[in-house]
Amino acid sequence: MNSLLRSVPITWKNLSRRTLRTTLTVAGIAVATFLFSFVESMRDGVRRATEAGAAETRLVVYRKNRFCPFTSKLPQSYERTIQDVPGVKSAVPVKIVVNNCRASLDVVTFRGVPDEGFMEDHLQGATLRSGSLADWKLRSDAVIVGSALADRRRLRAGDRFDAAGVRTLVAGVFESLDAQDQNVAYAHLGFLQETAQRGGTGGIVTQFNVEVTDPARLEEVAAAIDERLAHDQFPTTTRPESAFVARAARDVIALVRFAGIVGWASLAAVFALIANAIALAVRDRVRDHAILQTLGWTGMDIAWMVVLEAGMLGAAGGAIGALAAYGAIAFAKLNFTTEGVSIGVTSSATVTGIGILLATALGAVAGLAPAWTASRREIVQGFRTA
Amino acid sequence: MSAIECRNLRKDYTRGEEVIHTLQDVDIDIEAGSFVALMGPSGSGKTTLLNLLAGIDRPTGGTIEIGGQDIGDLSRNGLAAWRSAHVGYIFQLYNLVPVLTAYENVELPLLLHRLTAAERHERVADALSLVGLADRHEHYPRQLSGGQEQRVAIARAIVTRPTLILADEPTGDLDRASAAHVMDLLVRLNREFGQTIVMVTHDPSTAARAGRTVHLDKGKIVDEPEHAHGHAHDHGEHRK
Repeated sequence: MNSLLRSVPITWKNLSRRTLRTTLTVAGIAVATFLFSFVESMRDGVRRATEAGAAETRLVVYRKNRFCPFTSKLPQSYERTIQDVPGVKSAVPVKIVVNNCRASLDVVTFRGVPDEGFMEDHLQGATLRSGSLADWKLRSDAVIVGSALADRRRLRAGDRFDAAGVRTLVAGVFESLDAQDQNVAYAHLGFLQETAQRGGTGGIVTQFNVEVTDPARLEEVAAAIDERLAHDQFPTTTRPESAFVARAARDVIALVRFAGIVGWASLAAVFALIANAIALAVRDRVRDHAILQTLGWTGMDIAWMVVLEAGMLGAAGGAIGALAAYGAIAFAKLNFTTEGVSIGVTSSATVTGIGILLATALGAVAGLAPAWTASRREIVQGFRTA
Repeated sequence: MSAIECRNLRKDYTRGEEVIHTLQDVDIDIEAGSFVALMGPSGSGKTTLLNLLAGIDRPTGGTIEIGGQDIGDLSRNGLAAWRSAHVGYIFQLYNLVPVLTAYENVELPLLLHRLTAAERHERVADALSLVGLADRHEHYPRQLSGGQEQRVAIARAIVTRPTLILADEPTGDLDRASAAHVMDLLVRLNREFGQTIVMVTHDPSTAARAGRTVHLDKGKIVDEPEHAHGHAHDHGEHRK
């Protein structure tokens, strides 16, 4: 242990007193780790939005063979039919209006929800940042806006908000951990239907959000709802919310999956950067290593010093890159929205930790071959080479 | 009593298909506390002999006993530990680590010893005082003159209080004044602290400061006077 510790101050001085080389190497590693952490945060968002948990209780009832809020049209009267299906706890008709049906970072999604009950329940797991639910109830054109949308459009309670042909007044802004909520404006169902009525779709909703009593019966209840409406004029497809998001956001998911390759490639760049920096450092320090060995340091001491330096470079670059990605994501509040569903890109301590650990480990591994070379070089040969 | 006993010492190098016999059956005894100069033309094997005595190179044949220890029996790590405990090495080109200050360079060998930070500090300060650089602790090698760098290297060589100091042309890269200063230091170390010193040099006047001069030529010891087993000379009287 003592032999490992005694190398630390020398390694630190080697790094801190060769400022240019260290700065350039750490900057390169930081950029690559930033990219990796950013992409992993996107993948993490996709995983959280699309992987069903054991406690998932929410179903989304959509028009069969329709994949866009513009084309999914269901009669609001289905609410009673769905409520009657065994295992259904509640069914909420939702009208969705979006300003852009394609994948985008700036989609505005209006969700029309019933005046009573839904928002009270919904806001229980959220925090009202400004405004009030009472203000929302007082005006038919009022909306309560998710924090990501509010930040992006710089909306505060009392502001007028106009998007997708819908003119509203912001009654409140709320914070929620649910990506689906962060990018949404909740409006009164009747108001959205009335707005849409001008196009002849009054009494029509986009989907029903259904809560089931028992998570274990999720698939069974979904099948029962579709079975009950199968022979109606507007047949439905009912999926768990995670599966619904995965289906709706398949383009985004494919894009993020591709970005994952870029993320791993950036880790390869970390490895190459450190391997190159350390190989050059070892070549430059052949004489220093020969001096140390003449003084009594062993080949293992030298090897450890090289690996330690590579690991420290990886750790420093990794920490800067991963923490910068954490901060950038937290600041930007990014959401991919497509077909009315949102996938949040959120800062995650786990992703940050993985980024730092991987950069450190890759650094140490990149240092192994140069360390071995340095440790095996004979002292006299080292002086001759230098 | 001999501090160093070399018997039938050989060192061969291979260059392509050619084998170069750098040292050929060298026998030499060096008394404890003596100051020996190794002289000879370039390629005579002086530095090779010094490197073998320091344990930084391995002989092709023969034995080297230092303080009763056959260093040929030691493993790579064992040899490193032995060097750390018994050898101080002074290079012609100083060989200080450029990113470390004078203080840190001198402290380097002490990091291998079980000493507290306070003990290390005391030893480094003493060594730098001894070589007249008490006011240069925080200077980097690039901020020192050649003579000062060599004195830092001497401080580094003596800081562990080794039994054997080996110096490879320690004045070879210095002006006359600095060279004289360095030689005064080595003579003082030999006379006052009784340290055994083996020094390679080309310069007869430098060799004259040693108590004994051993001449090498073509890998063999030649022309060694029988009486030469003494301590260092204060001034340049060659005892040949």
